[in-house]
Amino acid sequence: MKSITKRTIVSLILAGILILGTGIFVFNFFTKGSEWASYPANSHLYTNGILNSGTLLDKDGAVLADAHDGTWSYHDDQTTRKALLHTVGVPDGTIYTGAITRFAGKLTGYNFLTGAQHIGKDGNKVYLTVDADVCRAAYKALGSYKGTVCVYNYETGEIICLVSTPTYDPAYPPAISDSDPNYDGVYVNRALSASFIPGSTFKLITLTAALEEIPDVTNMSFYCGGSVDIGDKTITCTGTHGDISLEKALNVSCNCAFAYIADMLGGKTLDKYTKETGLTDSYSVNGISTKASSFGFKDDPAGEVAWGGVGQGHDLVNPCSMMIYMGAVANGGKAAVPQIIEKTTLQGGLKTGFYIKKQTERLVNSDTAEIITQYMKSNVVNTYGESRFPGLDIYGKTGTAQVDSSDSSNSWFVGFIKNEDAPLAFAVYAEGGGSGSRTAATIANTVLQEAVKSVSTEEE
Amino acid sequence: MGNTIIDILNFIWLKICQFAAFMIQLLDTGIKSIPYAFSWLSSNSLDIGVWYCQIVRWLMPVLALIILTAIIKSMLRVKNPEETWGYLKSDSLGTFPITHWESLIGKGKTCDIVIEFVTISKIHCAMIFDGINRWRVHDLSGGSDVSINGEKVSNSAEIESGDILSIGGVDFEFETISQEESSLEEKKRSYKSRTPVSPVFSISMLTVFQMLAASSLVINRPEYSIQITFSYIILAAVMWVYILVNYFGGKRGLEPEILAFFLCSLCLSVTASSSPGTLYKQLAAILIGIFIFLILSWYLRDLKRVVKTRHLMAAFTCILLAASLVFGTIQHGAQNWIYIMGVSFQPSELAKVCFIFAGAASLERLFKKRNLWGFMAMSFFCFGCLALMSDFGTAAIFFVTFLIIAFMRSGDYTTISIICCSAVAALGLMIKFKPYIASRFAVWGNAWENASTTGYQQVRTMSAAASGGFIGVGSGDGWLHNVAAANTDLVFGMICEEWGLIIAVLAVVAIASMSIFAIRVVKSGRSSYYVIAACAATSMLVFQTMLNVFGSLDMFPLTGVTFPFVSCGGSSMLASWGILAFLKAADTREGASFAVRKIRFGPKKIRVPSESVEIQDYTDEVTGVYNRGEM
Repeated sequence: MKSITKRTIVSLILAGILILGTGIFVFNFFTKGSEWASYPANSHLYTNGILNSGTLLDKDGAVLADAHDGTWSYHDDQTTRKALLHTVGVPDGTIYTGAITRFAGKLTGYNFLTGAQHIGKDGNKVYLTVDADVCRAAYKALGSYKGTVCVYNYETGEIICLVSTPTYDPAYPPAISDSDPNYDGVYVNRALSASFIPGSTFKLITLTAALEEIPDVTNMSFYCGGSVDIGDKTITCTGTHGDISLEKALNVSCNCAFAYIADMLGGKTLDKYTKETGLTDSYSVNGISTKASSFGFKDDPAGEVAWGGVGQGHDLVNPCSMMIYMGAVANGGKAAVPQIIEKTTLQGGLKTGFYIKKQTERLVNSDTAEIITQYMKSNVVNTYGESRFPGLDIYGKTGTAQVDSSDSSNSWFVGFIKNEDAPLAFAVYAEGGGSGSRTAATIANTVLQEAVKSVSTEEE
Repeated sequence: MGNTIIDILNFIWLKICQFAAFMIQLLDTGIKSIPYAFSWLSSNSLDIGVWYCQIVRWLMPVLALIILTAIIKSMLRVKNPEETWGYLKSDSLGTFPITHWESLIGKGKTCDIVIEFVTISKIHCAMIFDGINRWRVHDLSGGSDVSINGEKVSNSAEIESGDILSIGGVDFEFETISQEESSLEEKKRSYKSRTPVSPVFSISMLTVFQMLAASSLVINRPEYSIQITFSYIILAAVMWVYILVNYFGGKRGLEPEILAFFLCSLCLSVTASSSPGTLYKQLAAILIGIFIFLILSWYLRDLKRVVKTRHLMAAFTCILLAASLVFGTIQHGAQNWIYIMGVSFQPSELAKVCFIFAGAASLERLFKKRNLWGFMAMSFFCFGCLALMSDFGTAAIFFVTFLIIAFMRSGDYTTISIICCSAVAALGLMIKFKPYIASRFAVWGNAWENASTTGYQQVRTMSAAASGGFIGVGSGDGWLHNVAAANTDLVFGMICEEWGLIIAVLAVVAIASMSIFAIRVVKSGRSSYYVIAACAATSMLVFQTMLNVFGSLDMFPLTGVTFPFVSCGGSSMLASWGILAFLKAADTREGASFAVRKIRFGPKKIRVPSESVEIQDYTDEVTGVYNRGEM
């Protein structure tokens, strides 16, 4: 008997597995429950696949979208509606990163205690960090360009502006055919879910690597003869700059100098810095994952690496991650991780959620950040002209990215402003915008002026 | 270095600040919520029915927690003191109590009666009681070292009280216990095995639970109010009759049944929510299940009779499975339903009960290896039938139960490993030749990517389960019941949605605790038959729950098996109650189970010249033995 009763241990093991598995389920219930509940077939939260309750507001309390009896109404102003399409989203979920889709659980008031049968009948209010007026200005500034403008506060993480074009009016959705070039990538939020050739803006990353890896690089001189052969590639420059310092090379965005530097650093080192600067990370913006940037440095031959160091080649950068890196440079090495939810409350105003701000890892050493800041300022002073950014203590780098498939190039401007009330980092990208300093920098100025203005009016 | 410490301190300080901010926020929220609650109440007028359901939503998990913690606590802490059936007395080595019906005697530590003496082998012999009046001694030494009253025992021989058993040259006087002793012991045991919780309290709470469930179901399904009320009243009545009859009959160890009644209450609510038209059918299934439970428990009281009918049961298992293979109709891809006179049932469910009945074995049969081969042959026939029926869930349940029984019978890791390996190989072959099975495995873990095709059910189960939160949306208020097989294969999701995570987890814990309970009570089991049967039975329930719960949540491939006692369906309910009988039969706590027979020994068994004096002394001595044993 004794030996047989000892063998009952197998029953115990089986029961243990059952309990363990149930424990795993309970764990998943807590970590993924909200996501599970947000499935459109869940008729507690969805009516015919459409989220049935909740209100979405901007940081000033302007209603961006509101569910009533299974239909959604939007902001009164058409331009604002278009500007915020990708941020707000649409109830049928076609815009995957939209708040209506991603924050469905929060909008309906789903919680672990009472589940989907919430005590508040009309769902919750979700306040976004975006400022509808700034977004509206950004959308207007982008004009007919496809592209994106994103601006965020690198100290608090609040995303103030998140606009992606092409867009449409969610209140009167047009019929969009898949092949319509005017609506190319209309459902994609270009700031969060896409990556593009960075052009010269990537020189900031090459610069970061050079400052940290090459001793005394700030005092070195580079020669630009208009083009240079590295590996089997010829890297052409926008001009013939002759002997040129590192700072000057960044000011005039000299391809030859940065191709040299990239060649000196090598693919492996550059690859390391694309990781360290956080570009290859996928950030979680309140649960919305950004697309990670991708590079070819690891396996590319020398010529391609040199092109990559200049910002062409196999580089694809996500605008949001570039913006975060700019925030880190401005902030001495670390920046706040972007957030898009300001707060969630019951319809009556009682707060239901608490959003703790998070910091990124150290993306750059503070000494390096200081030099980069200095150089970015001299970009503005020496090349773009401070007068174009009246009243802004702005630091930036433009980019003009060539795309094989298109004759016109894409316009970039990334950077940050220093301002006690509005410490903002930004990334502007306009497809077919041509020169970065012409198109993207102008857009950036318009948006930042509006952003600073909105902060100062708030102060009053 | 200094910097690092400062960094760490800064970090800790930051965290403390964040935490403090969070607590302040929480406090703030709490204070603000009071006026808000009032304003909300005044601006949202609700009718009384909705109010009632809202309150019931909050009460149910609390009630369930109270009921189950009481029962499970008493199940997990159960003390099952040893029973004594007789003694082996030696002048030189002392007195050895015989505490099981089947005891191995030898010097080895695994023996039940350990006699450390040079001439005694590790496992020398076995003493086996038939549960009525006969004892037999089996020689296991392989030699000629066992004799009774000087007569050599070849293989086995009967022994009576007062006989001299000689093992390895040592003489022992064998004595069964007297009536006085037996009643004295009974008192001691009932004191020790008394359960801390009165069953009356638990079922009172359970009745409240049932009535609350019924009332909120009536509000949500008013067109079926009569069926709902009637079903719950009948269930409660049957439960009370059963408990009270037992209680006043002195049987107070009723935890497994109360758990089963709790799960059946959930079953009724699932039925009322998903297909209220079949409530009476489900109620009938529960009642027949209880009837089967009673009959089987009664039948299991007598080991001799059980052992005799084992072969019959083995044949019956095979016939049941063969019948569904021949006459079965295909439903949901598995050919396991038989229709007889308008009633449909799944023979494979009933075969589960018979399988355990036939598979468990008393010690006598374990002496011979070939007996295991017979069991294996029957098992493989079962697997074959189930595979041909494409009922892989049930096949898996049979297989795991088979493994448990085979291991308990043989204790042989090698054999078990070989069996497992061949099973994996067989599964591999099956997947190769029947690609549609592979497709079932393919979706496993990827349900969300296939949400509208192969992962349809799992995704909806998870979504509905999450919607329930802790307390559920209220019985009858869910939507998962609109999905196919929601009240059987996906029942865990339904419970989660309508009753909340707490009750759903408690239902799983209820099944798991049966298993743990079994392990604890069988420690002083009478016969290995009961030990094996109880462990196989509870393991079967546990594994079935595992397949059901994890399958519906995409943690296992979805195989479509039922949750014992909770899933709707007649055959599975009958089988669940039938399986429970095996657990009941192993519960040898004093006055616990009607499935365990009280055995008294008349004075005629004791051969003593002057009765009164001898017995007096004897009792004292026994007390002494007890005390020694306890210290």
